Amino acid sequence: MKKLLIRYAYFLKNSKRYQRCKSFFYNLLENQHSKNKSYFDFFMIFFVTLSVFFIIYDMDNELSIASHFFEATVIIVFVIEYLLRAWIYSDSHQLIIDYHEKSQYLNTPFKLHEVLKIILAKKLSYIFSITAIIDLLAIFPSFRAVWFLRIFLIFRLFKLFRYSTSVKLFAGVLNSRRFELFTLVGFVGFLVFIASIAMYLFEHKAPNSQIKSLFDTFYWAVVTISTVGYGDITPQTVGGRFVAMTLILSGLGVLSFFASIIVAAFTEQMHILRENRTYSELRLYKNFVIICGFGRVGQEIAWQLQKDKQRFIVIDNSLENIHLAKRHGFLAIHDDASRNRVLLNAGINRGASTVVCTTGDDVANVYVTLSSRYLNPTIRIISRVNHHNNAKKMEQAGADHIIQPFQIAGLLAAEYVGQPVAVEAILGILQERKHILMDTLVVYEGSILEGKSILEIGFEQRKLSLVGIISTNELHQKHRNRYHVKHQHFYFNPEKHFICRKNDILLVLGREMSIEYFREQIEKSRPKTRGAW
Amino acid sequence: MKNVVIFGYNRLAVEAMNRLDTDLYQILVVEFDEKLAAKAIAEGFDCKIIDFRNDDELRAIGIGTTVDVAFCFFSHDADNVFLTISARALDKNLTIIAVMENHDAGEKLIAAGANKIINPYEICGRKIHELIKKPDMTNILDHTVFGRYDLNMAEIAIPVGSYLQDSYVCNLNLNEQFNLILIGIVDKELGEDLHFSINEKQHKLDVGDILVVMGPANEIQDFKKQIANSSHN
Repeated sequence: MKKLLIRYAYFLKNSKRYQRCKSFFYNLLENQHSKNKSYFDFFMIFFVTLSVFFIIYDMDNELSIASHFFEATVIIVFVIEYLLRAWIYSDSHQLIIDYHEKSQYLNTPFKLHEVLKIILAKKLSYIFSITAIIDLLAIFPSFRAVWFLRIFLIFRLFKLFRYSTSVKLFAGVLNSRRFELFTLVGFVGFLVFIASIAMYLFEHKAPNSQIKSLFDTFYWAVVTISTVGYGDITPQTVGGRFVAMTLILSGLGVLSFFASIIVAAFTEQMHILRENRTYSELRLYKNFVIICGFGRVGQEIAWQLQKDKQRFIVIDNSLENIHLAKRHGFLAIHDDASRNRVLLNAGINRGASTVVCTTGDDVANVYVTLSSRYLNPTIRIISRVNHHNNAKKMEQAGADHIIQPFQIAGLLAAEYVGQPVAVEAILGILQERKHILMDTLVVYEGSILEGKSILEIGFEQRKLSLVGIISTNELHQKHRNRYHVKHQHFYFNPEKHFICRKNDILLVLGREMSIEYFREQIEKSRPKTRGAW
Repeated sequence: MKNVVIFGYNRLAVEAMNRLDTDLYQILVVEFDEKLAAKAIAEGFDCKIIDFRNDDELRAIGIGTTVDVAFCFFSHDADNVFLTISARALDKNLTIIAVMENHDAGEKLIAAGANKIINPYEICGRKIHELIKKPDMTNILDHTVFGRYDLNMAEIAIPVGSYLQDSYVCNLNLNEQFNLILIGIVDKELGEDLHFSINEKQHKLDVGDILVVMGPANEIQDFKKQIANSSHN
């Protein structure tokens, strides 16, 4: 029996199907970052609200078959949900394995009842959790035979809280200030207690007094301190009125204190909430860029990326820069990009394709580059270096591309002196300011380009100029005009008989529509079995 | 040989000087800060200390007479604007290239008479954007056209009497004859815009048109020589 249980536990641990199934339900019910959970929550809010309306409607009307059927569905859904939550709450097979390994290590006997106790304790901790109790009680109103169970309808409404993030948010804010709130509750309780006793002593025996018991004074004290004051019980004696005045003034103080606690907690939590919102928006994106530093360089990149409709997120530790980014509707996080947590939250390992380090401080850029490379060995990192002495360090830190603003600007200034027209022309083309673009086209396997010579492709008929071919293919190395750049070769102005091989990259010059039309033709000619590039 | 004066000794000035061919350009650095001037001299540059606010001192270094190009590379926008206005007043034909620090200084420098404004931050931002958008292309061009290889961009104006005068773009065949790629043509009659060669096959070349080409430096030289020779004949 014991052996069977242990074997079964290991089987479950190694079963991919079981793990997949459990992870699916975890994502559906508990994982805050899962899309399925949002759909499920939305469905459940609708479902619970509908069930409540049905019950209220049925209180005054005849029960129809449809409502019977609906109630049965409600019970089934709620029970299944309750059981699934109990299932995903803990991994019982893991508890068995842990216990088994521990007993083997310590050379102690494997006691079945001990394991079952551990499993039961874990499951009981779920059963007695507030949310589970609410879930259970929310099922009861569907049993119409016992009318008083209808009161549990209130728990079904509480159940709505489970699916609403704003209520969780409010609960979180209250929880963060529990010390202040407990202090306030203690103070209020003390005041109410004193006021109730004093009121009772003054008013109990007074003529025309509405106070009959200590509970009446307690009720009066709560109504008064909250500044509601129904006026159903009023003090008749001078002493009683003094107590009332003191309590009203204290009530004002208590309310203001309570409001200030809540406001302060919300203000404090607001930036965290906003950041969480940013992160959850980011989770929907793929291939986005992380811009570390929103100074002049970072801003320029952001404008350009926005024009391309390329997603990006800005991280900066200057509040001013973050406000500026947000004013323009960019996703932005006010934090220190050199912290691993910040980069991880920004999605360096989940969807980001490029990290750009653009601060004006080389030390910060090196640090962020190093952190990014450490967190993701394959991500593309482009870093700015302000002082040329630091370029080597940046390379060592793991940057793929190093940009030196003054070097590029100096080059441009010097080139402009000799040939202003050429400089403006190439800048216009590269920055896509003109209608002429320079762009790359990939020779996919099986596409119309593979195995064709430059002459056969006929660039002129396509109203394009071929500037050169970028390739890693060694077969091309016999050709002229070969420039070695990193791991690639660039063949400038290749001869007419140059044969394009798969994964070669053609650098072409032409109007945007000519390039796009040609790109479409290449895409269409690719074998369908392969995914889009 | 052209005379170039660089106002302001800083990182940008050094980078620009490194890129200027000393066989073609006579370079003078001008500073008003004595420490920076001493540093420039110590690093082997020809440097003078003058007060750029004084027109006589500007004239003394050749502004208005011998200087062809002025780089206004001071670190404050106000200094560069003042210098640009002064230099433009002294010489209407001087090429003035000015650097801007703050975004709104660009318009002021243009109004002051600068020919070209350099915004290092914008250039850097755009370069990073190019790297994100077209990484292969940018990488190759940075290492070849803008890098250590001899692949260059060049502009060639068509002189009077050259063999290209009145010829059609479609007959140029620069990629076969000279191993050059024709990027485009600037037709002075049509304005300063660059026209793309492929779309302008029937375009007739006139005197003063500028061909923008890309290719190895020696091929560019050969092409220039051929044009020059044909115009002399």
